[in-house]
Formats: sequence, C-alpha cells, structure tokens
Amino acid sequence: MLTETETKLLGVMMMVIMFGMGASLTFRDFLIAFKKPKGVLVGLLCQYGIMPFLGYALAVSLGLPPALAVGLILMGCMPGGTTSNIFTYFSKGVLALSIMMTSVSTLVAVVAVPALIEMYSNMAGVTGEFKIPAANVAQVLVILLVPTVLGMLLRKWNANIGAVVELVGGMLGVFVILFLIVSWVPRNYQLLLTTPWSVYFAAIGLGLVGMLLGYWLARLLKQDNNRARTISLETGIQNGPLAVLIVTLTFSGTMQQEVLLIPVLYSLFIVLTSTAITLWYRGISKREALARDGAKIGAVAAA
Amino acid sequence: MKAESVYDLAPWTMHYGVQSFQDGQSEHACLPALISAVAKQFAQNRAFTCVMPNGMYGNLSFAQIDELSDDFATYLRETLQLEAGARVAVQAPNCLSVPIAVFGILKAGCVLVNTNPLYTAAEMKHQFADAGVEAVVIVDMFTDKLETIRAETGIKHIITCSVASFFPPVVRHIVQGIQRYWNRAIPAHSMSVTQIEEAVAAGGAARAKLKRDPQEFWKRLKRTDLALLQYTGGTTGVAKGAMLTHGNLLANIDQILAMGAAKIELGREVVLTALPVYHIFAFTANLLAFYRVGARNLLIPSPRPVQNLQRAFENYPVTWISGVNTLFNALLNEEWFTAFPPKHLKAAIGGGAAMHSAVVKRWEATTGSRLAEGYGLTESSPLVCFQPFTGPQRTDCIGIPAPGTAVRLVDDDGKPVPQGERGELIVRGPQVMQGYWNQHDESAKTIKDGWLYTGDVAVMDHEHMFHIVDRKKDLIIVSGFNVYPNEVEEAITAHDKVMEAAVIGVVDAKTGEAVRAFVVKRDATLTETEVLEHCKTVLTGYKMPTKIIFRDELPKSPIGKILRKELRKEVAAK
Repeated sequence: MLTETETKLLGVMMMVIMFGMGASLTFRDFLIAFKKPKGVLVGLLCQYGIMPFLGYALAVSLGLPPALAVGLILMGCMPGGTTSNIFTYFSKGVLALSIMMTSVSTLVAVVAVPALIEMYSNMAGVTGEFKIPAANVAQVLVILLVPTVLGMLLRKWNANIGAVVELVGGMLGVFVILFLIVSWVPRNYQLLLTTPWSVYFAAIGLGLVGMLLGYWLARLLKQDNNRARTISLETGIQNGPLAVLIVTLTFSGTMQQEVLLIPVLYSLFIVLTSTAITLWYRGISKREALARDGAKIGAVAAA
Repeated sequence: MKAESVYDLAPWTMHYGVQSFQDGQSEHACLPALISAVAKQFAQNRAFTCVMPNGMYGNLSFAQIDELSDDFATYLRETLQLEAGARVAVQAPNCLSVPIAVFGILKAGCVLVNTNPLYTAAEMKHQFADAGVEAVVIVDMFTDKLETIRAETGIKHIITCSVASFFPPVVRHIVQGIQRYWNRAIPAHSMSVTQIEEAVAAGGAARAKLKRDPQEFWKRLKRTDLALLQYTGGTTGVAKGAMLTHGNLLANIDQILAMGAAKIELGREVVLTALPVYHIFAFTANLLAFYRVGARNLLIPSPRPVQNLQRAFENYPVTWISGVNTLFNALLNEEWFTAFPPKHLKAAIGGGAAMHSAVVKRWEATTGSRLAEGYGLTESSPLVCFQPFTGPQRTDCIGIPAPGTAVRLVDDDGKPVPQGERGELIVRGPQVMQGYWNQHDESAKTIKDGWLYTGDVAVMDHEHMFHIVDRKKDLIIVSGFNVYPNEVEEAITAHDKVMEAAVIGVVDAKTGEAVRAFVVKRDATLTETEVLEHCKTVLTGYKMPTKIIFRDELPKSPIGKILRKELRKEVAAK
C-alpha cells in the first residue's frame, strides 16, 4: 500500500501532469474538434468503446476475483494518458490528433468514466465494498480539470513556457510510473511472484489488444495509416497514474493493495510495450516517408 | 524611342490606381542603408519571430537585428579579414540566423550567395566553386555534406548556425537536444567551424575595440554594385548565378510594395514566411520588402508537413502570407485551417509557379481575402507582373507589369506580336539582372538589347492583363497543334476529386507527341474515366490526355513548384 505521503505526492504529480497536458493545448484545438469532430469521434469510440469492454471481457473470461476485476475495469475505463503524446511524437504520428484525443477523452471522462465503471462493474458482478463510487471518480476528474485549464491559459500567455511545461508534464508521466515501480514493486515482490499468469496476461493484454483493436477500428472508419497508428497508441495507452490515484483515494489497507495490482502492472508494462510499438511504428512511418520521397525523386534516380 | 507596338504604350498603367512610382528610385543608395534606416524607424518593434511546429519561438527586434548584423559584418571584415565584394554563402532554412547573416553580409559590402540547404554535395560544390565563395554560413544539419566537398572549393571560413540559434536559452537547449539526440539530425564532422553566436560576439568585441562604425563598410556602395548571386537551374541543367545588384533589389522592393500598397500599413503587418528565403521569391518579397515596411516576419523553418504552420497561425495575427500554389492548396486541405481561417489576413501573394484558379477561388472563399498572383523570375529580382489590388479582381491571369517595367510579347524573330496573340514575354526594367556570373554566352542569349527573354509564352487580353500560357519549352505539339500543359492541368484540377496534376508530352507514333497527365487524388474514389469525362467538357480533342497516371505525390522543387522535367525524365528512362 502507498503511504499517506506517497498518495499526496501522487496527487500533486497528477496535477502537474494535467497542467502539462493543458499546456499542450490551445482553446482553438477544442473549437476545431467541435467543428470538425470526425477524427476525435473515432478516437473517443476507440477510447470508451473498445477499452472498457476489453477490460470487462478480460476480467470475466479470465475469471478474475472482484478486487482484480474492478482494477482491470477501472484501468479500461480511464481516459487517454498524457504519455501517449510523447510516444506519438516519437513514432512520427499525428501529434495534434493525439493531443486532442487525450484532452477530449479527459473532458468527457467526467461523465463517461463513472457511468462506464458502474455499468461494467455491475455486468461483471462486482458488488459491495469493491465498487468504486461514481461520485468519487467524477470528483477527482473535475478537480483535475483545474490544472488543465490553467495549463491552457499558460500556453496562451506564452507559447515557449507552455511548450516547456508540456514537455515537463509528459516526462513526469513516465517518471510517476517509475516512482510507482520503485516504491511499490520492492515492497510487493512476494505478491508479484505469487501472482498468477492470468493477471499478467490481463495487465499486458489490455494495452496491447487495445492498440491492435484501436488500429483496425480506425482503419475501418477510413482513417489513414498514420492517423490509425496514432489512434492505436492513444487507445492502448491509458492514464495509469490517474487509476492509481482513484484507487488510493477510494480503498485502503490490503484491499487497496489488491485493487492496485492491475493498474500498477498495467502502468509498468505499458511503458515497455508502447516503447516497442513506438519503435515499430516509427520504422513504418519512416518507410512510408521514404516511399513517398522515392516516388518523388524516383525520376531523378532513374534518369 | 518610337513605340514599336501596343506594349510600348504601356496601356496597363490605367490599372495602377492613384499611387505614384518613380521608376524604382528608392531613397537609399544600397541595401544596408535601407536596412539601417528601417531598423532605426521601428527599433522596438519585433522584426523576426521564428516559430517551431510546437509553437516554441524566438524573437528579434529591429534594434537587435541591426546590432547583431552590424556585429556579423564586422566579424566578416575585421576578424576574418574578408574584402569588400567577397562572396559569402548562406545555406540554412528559415531561422533567426538567416536575417542576421544576410544583413551582415550586405552590410559588410560582401556579396551574398543564397544556397539551398537541401542541395546534394555535388550541387553545393558546383555553386561554391562557381561563385568563388570564401565563407559560408551553414545550418548544423548539413555540415557533413560540406565536409565531403570543401577541399574542392575555395571556402576558407565556416560559420554554423542552428535552427534554434538566438532562441531563449531553455527553449534553445530543448530544440537542439531533440534535434541532436532523438532525431539525430546533427551530423558529426571534423572541420573547424565557428558558431554564429561566437562570430557575432567576436564581431561585437572587434567593433568595440577598433571603434569601427560598420557604416564604413557600406557607405560607398552604389546601386550598380553587386549584392547577390542567386543561382537558378535554368534550362541547361547547370545552375547559373544571376547577378543582382543593390539597385535591382531596391527597385524590386519598391515595385513589390507598390503592388501591395493598398493593403499595407507601416509597422502593423505580420507576414508569414513559410517559403524558404534562400529562394528569390521569399527573399525579396518577405525578407526585404516586408522588412522595409516594418512588418513582423514569422519565419517557419519547415512548412512540411503543413501542420507545422498551425501554431504560427494560431499564435500570431497573420495579415499577409506568401506562397506557391501547392502551399495554398495544402492549407486548404487542413481541417484546422478551414475551420478557423486566419481572421486578420488582408491578402496573400501567390507566385513561384502558376496559380490554379480553382485554388485561388477556394482560398478567397475560405479566407475572405484576396490572393493576388505575381509573376517573376530569378533574373528579375523576381517581380515582373502582378495583379493590382486596385484593379479588377481576376483569378486567371498574372495581371500587369510592375511600375517601371517595360514588357513586350514577341515572336521567334523578336518582333512584337499583336494584342491577343501569343508571344514570348520579354522584360526591361530596373529589376533585371546584370547577367549570369562568369557566363557571357548564357547572358548574351538571355539578355538581348537590354531585354530579358523569359522563355515564358504569354498573351495580353483586351483589359491589358497578361496571361502566362506556359513555358516555351514545355509546349506539347500534338499532330501539329500546340497544347500548353497549364491549360490541361487547370482543366483537370478543376475537378473536385483532384488534388493536383502535372501534364507532359510523351512521344507518340501517331500524333508525334501525346498528352499524359499525372494526377494526385483528393478523393480516393476518383477513376480515370471520371477525369477524362470531365476533361471532355472543357478541352477540345487534341488537348485531351491520352493517359492518366495516378500518383501519391508529384516531384516538386524545394518551394513546391511541380517539376515536369522530372516526370519527362522518368518517362524517357522507361
């Protein structure tokens, strides 16, 4: 379990991360998303259509106990993580789309996440003490909108400082996961050793399968390759630290430890899987760019 | 001189409006005089802002650019001991170092050699050796190419700059760190180089120590002195340096401003410079002319992909933009641009290659402001003709000759053709170059009796407006009929599902030459039949393409001009 200080620290870091996310955005971005909503709608469909269902389906098909099931469903229902923007940047994806998906999904989260958690928890038969109160979730999300808007204001005031804060926030997202690994893993390695394979499978599978399905759904909805790759990363990468925060604010004691297992494992492995996927996507993007250049200067080479 | 033809009566002057123009007689004797005077006039205003794709930026005020370019001039003359007239190349994408280096070189009384950073090592070698370049200011991304050919040139001094040079320190380190460690865009080299920041500091120190006023370097410069060697591919393939004097450029600045005067307020404009300033269009129009009116210049290091312009449009109230057909077209295909077109925009200038009227109409409908087409070439600094804002609004022509410019349309014998008939456009005016550097034969072929032969076929209509029909050498002859690729391209791109098109002639057993079209789709469902059906409605039989080839992209020059010659080479190679 996380200590009181660690929980507080996590809360503060979360604020900074959201501040950074806000700083990556302009008010104009939102207006554009409303005026030309197609890309973002496809993204939202992947985010809140695929992932929560995937969390639920994995929990039920693997027969996870309630504590783990609720952790997995919670993880599936989370909005997009801010680290996805960094991965998108490095995979040469469509950064603007990634940023928009993260922020719109975070905005929509205030309504969507409590409702989805409620629905899938009920369907999975999670009851009583393991249920996450919808009001708690909504409250946390509303509070996090404050630093987000502050970040946007900062960006409007000075684009240079905004861009630096954006970078710091994104880096901190990765750092928080490292912090979790360092503070949580050593204390719980016994638990990790006895954790059954199905839990690892669920924690890793949620991200990987999410990316795969996100890609194909986006392709099906006529997004081009590069946008589909961006949506894929965005879909698979959830806001892990946010899930951890919600768990620590909702549960305590051993219960907290149990519910935390999947969000922590997910956060840990998503860094590894999305790094691998990013390198792969980057390779594809490069090949596509080269092919385009090839078409362009093929003439010169041929002559 | 007796009027030999309708052209010599200059009937188009009726469209000039009320402004007066004295044959390009700028009040300044040389560019440094202008640069210095303008800097004092607008000292505290922002002159240049370099905007990165994520919105990070660096600023220089008019006072700062004046100071830094004085320092750089002193560095060239005192520290490096270059002579007046020495050639100094600048090879960098748009960034804050460019105006510092360019203005510094001019203030030093040296000759600027604009160089495309995307050149291959062989092209660099040719240009540097041909121009006799002694010092080069090169962006750190391409030093490796320079290293391979340096020994074959006369380059003695290398000054490097970064895209983020002169940015605030934290931002500079982030941009440079990402370039170096993640994008690995900064190659290693073993040449001894000076960073531009060090060069400027050394120049500043020398200035203080020697109590040298940089005016000493330029106060004796005359309008007839060489300012710039601007290389142009030309028709023969080997790049030639067009010799442009201080007078040529000063005159053309005035001519460009005469074109825009109706929509320019001193010290109030914000111009977006997405085209590279090593190209003559953005060099004279953006870097020089808009500087002269105290505009804030937004320098975009790379406009590709075109999303790179999004933050610049959002964060700054852009009032003017210059571009080529492909840039405007690309912007019109961006959701963020069409959802919120720039609301402060007063006008846009299109040039570099023929604008397509479909694009102009969409642009004007989307932004609610004029897109005026200009026509020019490297050899004429570049502006020759423009669409006046005061005249009738036309999207299908290059307008009228700039004030102080004489033009004629002539046949193959150099005799003027009657109004309404096609002829080669020839130009005489204060903006016409002195000739090609070290190329007497080429110069004599291009400039005859003071007239610059453009190689473009044009026609003057009943309103005395000029239309470029096409490049003389791009003409396709189908069964003895002349087909101009521009006309066919216009016809094809008017189809909604077409993004862009290029048309060339290919050898044909029956008709001698046949029309072949290369088309980029806007809508993936487009078929060859649809294109042909559409063409039938606007083109007569012999102008019809015999074959449509769909492409993902068309070969383009660095500024986005579609290169038909590359397509011809490709076809010839098969």
